[in-house]
Amino acid sequence: MLEVRNLSKSFRLPKPKRGAPKPASVDPREDGRWFHAVRDVSFQAEDGKILGLLGPNGAGKTTLLRVLSTALTPTEGTASFGGVDIVREPKEVRRRLGFLSGNTGLYGRLDVDEMLRYFARLHGMTAADADRRIATLSETLDLGTFLTRRCDALSAGMKQRVSIARTLVHDPDIIIFDEPTTGLDVAAAEAILRLIERCREQGKTVVVSTHHMNEVERVCDAVVVIHQGRLRFSGSIAQMREEGGHQALDQAFLKLVDYKATGVSDAA
Amino acid sequence: MLRDIGVVYRKEMLEVVRDRKTLVFMIVLPLLLMPVLMQLVTDYMRKTEQKAQTETIAYVLVGAEQLPALGEAFAQAPGFEAKRATDVSALAEAIEAEELDLGLVVVPPPEPGGQLEIEMHYDNASTTSKVKARAMAVIEEVEASVRRQRLGEVGIDEPETQAAVLEPMVVVERGTASSRERIGELFGGILPYFLIPFCFLGALYPAIDLGAGEKERGTLETLLLSPLPRSSMVLGKFLVIFTTGVVAATLVVAGLGTWLAFKSSDMGGVFGEIVSAIGPLDLTLIAMMLLPTTAMMSALLLSISIYAKSFKEAQSYATPLNLLIVLPVMFAMLPGVELDWTWAMVPVTNVALAIKELVKGTVDYQMLSVILVSSTAVAAALLWAAIRWFNQEAVLFRQ
Repeated sequence: MLEVRNLSKSFRLPKPKRGAPKPASVDPREDGRWFHAVRDVSFQAEDGKILGLLGPNGAGKTTLLRVLSTALTPTEGTASFGGVDIVREPKEVRRRLGFLSGNTGLYGRLDVDEMLRYFARLHGMTAADADRRIATLSETLDLGTFLTRRCDALSAGMKQRVSIARTLVHDPDIIIFDEPTTGLDVAAAEAILRLIERCREQGKTVVVSTHHMNEVERVCDAVVVIHQGRLRFSGSIAQMREEGGHQALDQAFLKLVDYKATGVSDAA
Repeated sequence: MLRDIGVVYRKEMLEVVRDRKTLVFMIVLPLLLMPVLMQLVTDYMRKTEQKAQTETIAYVLVGAEQLPALGEAFAQAPGFEAKRATDVSALAEAIEAEELDLGLVVVPPPEPGGQLEIEMHYDNASTTSKVKARAMAVIEEVEASVRRQRLGEVGIDEPETQAAVLEPMVVVERGTASSRERIGELFGGILPYFLIPFCFLGALYPAIDLGAGEKERGTLETLLLSPLPRSSMVLGKFLVIFTTGVVAATLVVAGLGTWLAFKSSDMGGVFGEIVSAIGPLDLTLIAMMLLPTTAMMSALLLSISIYAKSFKEAQSYATPLNLLIVLPVMFAMLPGVELDWTWAMVPVTNVALAIKELVKGTVDYQMLSVILVSSTAVAAALLWAAIRWFNQEAVLFRQ
């Protein structure tokens, strides 16, 4: 189970350049020399459930996920995975966590098998355990045909499947997917959604950050919406529709994040 | 911890040896550059020297009637070709137009039997020209003959007496420095210019690739999310960069050594003697001196690479470091800069001085241990800074 308690993350802003013009509008998260990317966020994700993390671009989702994955340290508050605190025991969290981001890359000069073995070794797995695990993942994700191919020679869909295998190679209890289907074709996206559902069946805690409401409707059991670093909503999909005042999930989402159409005139 | 470092090291090394750019900087360039460069330079110098010694010098002698012996000597000297006499004022123009190499003008003495003046017109901008030297050899022969004749006219006929009159004192130099020491001062001063920058060049590309390159490709974040201690990650990466730097420097020495082994017999003379006098112990000590220097550069480059947001940014930060490497090596070439307790503490300069002393065969072995200890301490401090850097999220996730 994932438990997030009053989590905040702020970054110190660089000194403005002398003589630089003042911006027309200031981001409400800016406070003097500080930028509050995530402010006082609390929510829970249960084992065997998929939690959807929603928010417009720049809402603070990636920062929040980076804090949860221990890449960044929270400024205030904390979170725990199955009782293991991300601040006090980051190494133990990393042992239990799988993190997949759309931004993460692969080692182009290694072949798929070498790369998976590398990550297995990084997680302290023995060679025999790695063999078994890679065989399982190869079957699940259909990696067999390109297991010995260098990562820089793979297609986008293949790369995403390898990234997922890399995320799951140490059989983590908690898995975070940050925009896992971005840039993928329908078939590749479908394969990933099935895999996410399979993780739920295995009783793992899953957090999925996405912009696709159809994916949310299909796989998520609960939803968290953040906007400008703050929590706007936490609950089930039915509750989100109710609170957003729309049956269409995208409209409910827009209502929750106070969306106001800008930049497109009515005449257009 | 060693296991963790080994895991990172093996993977990074595998990537490095599969990268063509790194292989070029680490193996091909260091191994081939020195022999090719040295061969080209020596071939060019030999050809230029040969050409200057054997090419025919076109000359004009004006006022030969003042000193007929001079005209005869030039007419008989091999490699000189007399051209039609021209006006003295046109000599410079003819030389500039390369119609003429040498113009000699014998100016009559103010009084009969007085001192003759010979004007020599030639292109003195050319550093490879042998016109002056070859002309002087002929003139000096004529001068000696005239001198003997004039001494004979005043009754000094015996060659020994003539020599005693012309040169009443002769200084015979008995320098205490061995020829290895003298030539080694120059050769040993130049050698660090090749060795030390290659420690840097060999480490440069992998360092940028292993830090900023990983950031740019998005693979660093996946590594950071493994349970490995960050210090193990840095040490694994550092050891890869260090290895490439050491391999590059070793191959420079190997390339140079191989070339010298084949060519030293051709060179002969004192230089050949020096080359053959540098034994395996000296070469081992030179290599040992380079180890902490390479470690320093590797740690520094890794820190820069970790800080940079992209490959390009890392390159722009690392390039000026070249100066940081070359300037301390230049200090070692300055007159009066000798290896002592103070200079032994100055990074890079101390190693350049030690290499010079090793080549000269005058090294103080106690000083070498001081250099090793001080350089290792600096390298350790820089490595510690790199580890700290790698633990700061403001550096790793710099926006």
